[in-house]
Amino acid sequence: MIELILLTLVVLCLFALESRDLLTGTIVLSVVSLLSALLLYLLHAPDVAITEAAVGAGVSTVIFVWAIKATDRKDAT
Amino acid sequence: MNPLRTSTQPRPAKQLVPQRISVVLPAVLSAVVVLGAAVFTLLPLVRLGTAWPVALRDHLEQRGVQESGACNLVSAIYLGYRAFDTLGETIVLLVAVSGTIGMIAGAGGVPRLERSKGHRTELIDVVTGKLGPVVLIFGLYVMMFGHMSPGGGFQGGVVVASGIVFLALGSRAGGRSRITEPGNLARIEALGFLFLVIASLVGSFTGAGYFGNPLARAGISPVVYIIALNAVIGLKVGAGISLMCVAMLGEAES
Repeated sequence: MIELILLTLVVLCLFALESRDLLTGTIVLSVVSLLSALLLYLLHAPDVAITEAAVGAGVSTVIFVWAIKATDRKDAT
Repeated sequence: MNPLRTSTQPRPAKQLVPQRISVVLPAVLSAVVVLGAAVFTLLPLVRLGTAWPVALRDHLEQRGVQESGACNLVSAIYLGYRAFDTLGETIVLLVAVSGTIGMIAGAGGVPRLERSKGHRTELIDVVTGKLGPVVLIFGLYVMMFGHMSPGGGFQGGVVVASGIVFLALGSRAGGRSRITEPGNLARIEALGFLFLVIASLVGSFTGAGYFGNPLARAGISPVVYIIALNAVIGLKVGAGISLMCVAMLGEAES
């Protein structure tokens, strides 16, 4: 189970790095945060899991989405 | 068709290959360096077979709950045994929020986004407006019960901040609430930090030392001090992060 989550995390992170659409990358990153929160919960660290879910999936996604809305959705490089 | 056009056409293809190498090579090099550093650091830990220091771990496991009164040992450590580090963490967060607000103000505020119909739907307004208070209550619960269940000031504060951001998103259609006004949030954060500094200093005057528990001599359970610190830190973190988010939403000038 833990190995499966770790493998999925790596795949999702690579996808977020490679995606040209920044909004897709942001949503994938928030999924990564949710999955790592699940991983931390499975590893008996519920405190860190709450922080990861609230910061990673909540606040940072809001900040990223508003930055994308204020600038450009396509990756320029 | 145009001879000039055909002669220049192969050029991008030729340039493409060195460009890709120049992009890939530093990435591969840095990956090798990072992997090497990781192996160099971790190998002695695995190979040397030195015993892990266990004295502190055993002490905390056996006596921690008794000494601090907090069932959640994580809270007992970061607000009881290592409260000084927690003060440093809150200062780091304070500096981060101040820097963000300073950058936003220095850039002349957030650029006003055009109100396109596609992005603002009734759905977002209604759902975030209704969900906000529930998330706020949950954040307060995580904050106040950090000594018994997983959570605490930082975690609860971030959940409170999410609730305030929800309220700010939901109330843009017209209704306003005083909790999403940047001035009030800044005031809450400043007051929270003031109370934290006062709470850290009180111990010095009662003889318990800096960040010592001033209630220890009065015979009150030391967990009260942890609950108070959790509440203060939660309010401060929640107000700070939501102030940052509300300022980025472009409400700062109102």
